[in-house]
Amino acid sequence: MKNYLITGISRGVGFAIAEALLEKGHAVYGISRTMSGEIESLKNKFSQRLNFKSFDLMEAENIRPDLFPQWLTLETPIHGFVNNAAMAYDDLLTNLNLKMLEKMYRVNVFAPMEITKYVIRQMLLHRTAGSIVHISSISVHTGYKGLSMYASTKGALEAYSKNTAREWGQRGIRSNCLVAGFMDTDMSASLDVEQKKRIYQRTALKQETSISSVAETTAFLLSENAASITGQNIFVDSGTI
Amino acid sequence: MKEKLLEIVNIIRDNKQLARLENLNPKDDLRTDLGLDSLDLAEFTVRVESEFGVDVFSDGLVNSIDEVLFKLEK
Repeated sequence: MKNYLITGISRGVGFAIAEALLEKGHAVYGISRTMSGEIESLKNKFSQRLNFKSFDLMEAENIRPDLFPQWLTLETPIHGFVNNAAMAYDDLLTNLNLKMLEKMYRVNVFAPMEITKYVIRQMLLHRTAGSIVHISSISVHTGYKGLSMYASTKGALEAYSKNTAREWGQRGIRSNCLVAGFMDTDMSASLDVEQKKRIYQRTALKQETSISSVAETTAFLLSENAASITGQNIFVDSGTI
Repeated sequence: MKEKLLEIVNIIRDNKQLARLENLNPKDDLRTDLGLDSLDLAEFTVRVESEFGVDVFSDGLVNSIDEVLFKLEK
């Protein structure tokens, strides 16, 4: 049994990743702003192995001590970290609102960077050859109208991940990004049916990216089966073209 | 406290196949005298924190054992 830290587990991809790892017999340390019905159901099914913490990543300065070391104590070995939580502030860049942009950077970039710091420290303490997975977005690589600001946060994570992999590889610590295509989640709720159809038409498979495919690929990247994969961007995007 | 620091330094040196040290001199430089590189210093930091509850690198670079002791005794 391994211990995995996942952010944003209340719904969508984060929930699917938490469920996939719990089903495989692992322990999940899950963070989200609020409790949800979905988390309640996971708690009922896997009570012993799901440790839930309500925390708002906007409060990045409280990651220490609220998350580390008060919740995730130094005695707890962490085998993997999935940075999934994100906020989407979508607009034309000519409407850029600096306050909103800063908020998005706190949640999408600064908080996971800070969490990674403590995750790696804990991996060093326990000599854990751990694995970090950042959930990135196809918008970094293709470009979509209205997503320049959001995509820039994910691009920052891809650079961070690549350099984390280089910096900590000699300690056996791996870092990868899963570049997810458009999924039918709350994140894309602002798009209407026509817009979604147009986006899916830009993929080889002509369909949305499957949430369970993203979750299972994340579980693979965390596992020993991916022992030689680090510093990579793994595209799970229905073959976006 | 110094014995505990010696134990931590030796845990890290063991992992690098460096000979164990018998004792620490307060003037010992963590890098040049004790042979710790930047990644080792990160491990040193978290091991010291785990033992004493203090992040000795939180407000700037620490170079020598007596600087570490100073931070721990503050």
